[in-house]
Amino acid sequence: MLHSEIVIVGCGNPLFGDDGFGPAVIEELEKLRLPDNVTIQDGGAGAPHFIFNFLDPEVTKRLIVVDIADFNAKPGSISKISGNDLKPGAYVDPHSWDGVDQLCRIRDLIDTTVIVCQPTKVIDKGNAEVEMELSEAVKNAIPKAIQIILETIGVDYGTTINLQEEGRQRGTAEACGTKKC
Amino acid sequence: MSKVVEISPTTRHEGHTKLVLKVNDQGIVETGNWCSITPVRGVEKLAVGKTPEQVPKIASRVCGICPIAHCLAATEAMEASIKCEIPNDAKLLRHILQLANRLHSHALHNILTLPDLYIPGTETKINPFTSEEPVRSVAKRIQRLREIGQTIGQISGGEAIHPSNPRIGGMYRNVSEQAKIKMYDLAKEAIPLAHAQAEFMIAVLRNYQKRDFVDVGGMKVPLPKDLGFHDQGYLATHPFYGSSSLDESPTWDPRRFKEARPWDWYMGEMTVDLEEPRYPVGGTTKVGTKTNPQMDACTGIPMYDGQPIEVGPRARQVVFHGFDEKGTIGQQIARQMEYQDCLYEMIDCIDELNTSGKVVADYIPNGDGTLGWAANEAPRGMDVHMTRVKDWKVQYFSMLVPTTWNFAVCSKALTGAPWQLAEVIMRGYDPCVSCATHMIVLDEDSKVVAQKLIQ
Repeated sequence: MLHSEIVIVGCGNPLFGDDGFGPAVIEELEKLRLPDNVTIQDGGAGAPHFIFNFLDPEVTKRLIVVDIADFNAKPGSISKISGNDLKPGAYVDPHSWDGVDQLCRIRDLIDTTVIVCQPTKVIDKGNAEVEMELSEAVKNAIPKAIQIILETIGVDYGTTINLQEEGRQRGTAEACGTKKC
Repeated sequence: MSKVVEISPTTRHEGHTKLVLKVNDQGIVETGNWCSITPVRGVEKLAVGKTPEQVPKIASRVCGICPIAHCLAATEAMEASIKCEIPNDAKLLRHILQLANRLHSHALHNILTLPDLYIPGTETKINPFTSEEPVRSVAKRIQRLREIGQTIGQISGGEAIHPSNPRIGGMYRNVSEQAKIKMYDLAKEAIPLAHAQAEFMIAVLRNYQKRDFVDVGGMKVPLPKDLGFHDQGYLATHPFYGSSSLDESPTWDPRRFKEARPWDWYMGEMTVDLEEPRYPVGGTTKVGTKTNPQMDACTGIPMYDGQPIEVGPRARQVVFHGFDEKGTIGQQIARQMEYQDCLYEMIDCIDELNTSGKVVADYIPNGDGTLGWAANEAPRGMDVHMTRVKDWKVQYFSMLVPTTWNFAVCSKALTGAPWQLAEVIMRGYDPCVSCATHMIVLDEDSKVVAQKLIQ
């Protein structure tokens, strides 16, 4: 596959509301100019079997996965988990391969980091209704996630890093006089 | 006295389904019902009011296994509705994308189906995840084929999973000369692998077919020679790609299609009175459980000329290549036969592709509400999307996906087989259920009467 030294994958399905967080972060990242050794990919609904499956440890040294997870925090909170803290799930079948299970298999070969966001509403994929928008809290968490990603891969990207230092978040900034900055 | 046995959920395929089987004293299926129990999602309703550019993106998110087929089918349905002709180079890129999707999907299905089969000459079933030879090298070959399929898809489609390159009126970008060479090299590398893989699979399948008994969870089950036979006929529009007009292929005509409601077709409420704890994985449903396929099923039953009809690799082989083997094994073999065809066709398309040719149509109309449709030959079968676009807004959108077609056909094909082999028959259809689950029900005058049936 066309992967490089650092691979950033956004997982989730935009049809299920906040589950679209991963692809939304990737969409924002695509607007940035990143070093040549970074590949960003919208994993969509198929990251476990189409991306994690084909990573070559000879080429890829670092994997960053962006997703949502329920960790009992305020909606929009971001958490960074090292791959070594992930626990393997049960194997069911390859069509519904659990992403965590696969990450547990590759984390010894590739330095894995998972960046997760707490969704507003926990999504049960089996019973979810289709809904296209990210919730406000999760949408506002995108810049924060990008800061953490850039920090993790060691890219200093001017404004975003400063934003983080000042503890500001999108939607709350009033510096430029308008509500939406 | 017939008894009722239920296998729920079924395993080794995508989505959530169950098998409800009425069996006789010998354990032979008298009536089989295979139904989707993935909840209804309503993607089609979401599409109404959106622009034609958005809908293929939404459609491609329905599934992570065949996003390419859905994206292409939706895009071409829109183009058919607004009557837009796309340039030849865009068409070639789409063909390459389509074939890449088929290559990796068939390879994935090999992994799902191998655990049912035996290593020839032994009583050992194949575990594709073992690190022992000879299986290990097969697994590596499958993995390489999948990787090649995905990489070619990524180059031509612009994105690894949900393609971003197709657009209404063609493709956003043509590929570079280097990318074309890369695709060519990959396809060439895959040809010997695909030959070897197809030959291996056919040998293993023939070996299975010759057996008198097979082992299912420690039970010795007789293997009938007519496993999975049915007389429902076949429907396919193109050996590789698809069609969006009757001129291209007269076989799919929307006027010959009607959708029946599940409660007119499936069995009613029954009580499970046969249980087998040895059945893998974790035994069948407990005795005394109530089951009601009529109400549990989450898909309509598509009828073509008043009958369910099979779509998929075998349908393509029968319609375009004179293949005539019936049953589950015939179906599996037809799928393996597509491996090489798919790569040779891909190479032909790459050869013909002009990387400096234009890929977007000069004129893209806004649409006048005409019914447009595209029948895309997805890996699992014909994926039909139908739409009406007026003034650059989608007024109606409907997806008629491969597994929805095959649910009813497979239910018929279960008759006459030992119930323990029902899942083997079902897996032959390579079911992919999450996209199959949605419903639009039409009454006699073809008006929508209910969009969502399950409470």
